[in-house]
Amino acid sequence: MVNAKIIAVCGKGGVGKTSFSALMVKELSKRKGIKIMAIDADPAVGLATALGMQVTKTVDDIRKDIIKRISKGESKAGKDMSAQLDYEIFEALGQREGVALLAIGRPEDEGCFCKVNNLLKDIIRDLAAKFDVVIIDGEAGVEQINRRVMKKVDHLILVSDTSAKAVNVTAAIAHVAADNRAVDFQSMGLVINRVRNAAEVEDIKNRTKLNIFGWMPEDDMIRDYDFRGQPLTAMPETSAMFGVVSSIIKRMDIE
Amino acid sequence: MELVEKAIRDFRTFLADKPCKKIDLPVKPWPAGGPRNIVLGDDVGVELGNPQDTSLACLLWSSDIKAVNDGSITLVGPDLAESAGKSMPFGKVVLVGVEGFNEENIYERCMELDHLRYGIDLDGFMLRAISQHQREWCRISKAALKRGFASGHLAAVLMKMLKNIPYVRSAEIVFLTSSAADIKKLREIVNPVFRLIAAMDKMAGEMDFDCDTCEYDDVCDEAEGLREMRERAMKKAAQKEEQTRG
Repeated sequence: MVNAKIIAVCGKGGVGKTSFSALMVKELSKRKGIKIMAIDADPAVGLATALGMQVTKTVDDIRKDIIKRISKGESKAGKDMSAQLDYEIFEALGQREGVALLAIGRPEDEGCFCKVNNLLKDIIRDLAAKFDVVIIDGEAGVEQINRRVMKKVDHLILVSDTSAKAVNVTAAIAHVAADNRAVDFQSMGLVINRVRNAAEVEDIKNRTKLNIFGWMPEDDMIRDYDFRGQPLTAMPETSAMFGVVSSIIKRMDIE
Repeated sequence: MELVEKAIRDFRTFLADKPCKKIDLPVKPWPAGGPRNIVLGDDVGVELGNPQDTSLACLLWSSDIKAVNDGSITLVGPDLAESAGKSMPFGKVVLVGVEGFNEENIYERCMELDHLRYGIDLDGFMLRAISQHQREWCRISKAALKRGFASGHLAAVLMKMLKNIPYVRSAEIVFLTSSAADIKKLREIVNPVFRLIAAMDKMAGEMDFDCDTCEYDDVCDEAEGLREMRERAMKKAAQKEEQTRG
């Protein structure tokens, strides 16, 4: 089986992970015939807004529902439960122009429902394999990606703004990912967001050991679209941001 | 089982009033889809049994091999090419003439036959199903429809799978795309069979052996062999408990 290219995007809250993920989805979707799965693994569920798509149900809604039914005594053979979850997850996908959006929802409640959780992860993994590219908009920590979505990704992108605090968070995430083996990845790198001038990038380069995939300038249009709650995918094609994201995609050899 | 035989008879009576089209098996098999076979919203040429629509998929079996019209494929309602761009209600009834079904193997065999559909791999065709709700949701891509995909291609692959099972001696497939009302009527007809399978599901799950509180008690009264299955399941559970204690 030809594996999908899986990209996980992590970083401190508020640095622009969701904006970057949405711009990547938009930019990749311009490639003809390419199928993209966007996974919103952030409990804030902001990717749907950024992509201008709707999700009616999250994976967590499905999970809770099935646990409730099992608790009531509804029994199911493994294959049937798996097929039902697969049906419900496919139904929950927002779908538009070669892009499917899956929202994971809020973190799990207390309690162990390993069978359901593992089945859900297996289904997400199998579904993801049907796409050419999978982009996971994550929380700050990579361990959440592993626990709630999947263990193996190809590219781990750490997004940071120019603040020292955010850059330090990327170092901490990189440590958990690489040294603690929280996720398996082939490449890991940094994307710096809201850059005002090249000197800031040079300065960060000197402060981080991470490979820099690219940087995005501070952009009033993104700020404006965010402020008005408009999808970033509706920004005019002439926006310089698409070019910036396109060059990052090329550099990472995702296409 | 008489309960299933009766459902088959009722189903035949229901079909007798309907304009049925016999479908020939296509000369050339449809190519397999491969690992990236997924049909997303914008690619959909025809949708059958969308979750918002009515759908039903069911299996009926008979130990009378001749009660099933071997190799027959019937369509009630428009075929896919006539319905491009539409979402239609969907019914699928698979009838099989079987040998060697007994209380020991009936559940496993029903499950095996039911799960065959998950192995269907046709380019531009996608299937999702929930056995518990007897729902089946299919999507056919615009590209597949343009290349001539028809219900016969789906039937051909399913028929081949059925014929590969040694205990299946005859097989017949009926598709319904006519109306939601027809599918609802069909659900009424085959509902006793669903309840029978649900009762077997419950026994297999070993959740509850108390007949007084079981919602399928009436099914056990009606379907011969089911009580024996329950007793066997109870014995199995008791043995397991003894082993755990020991």
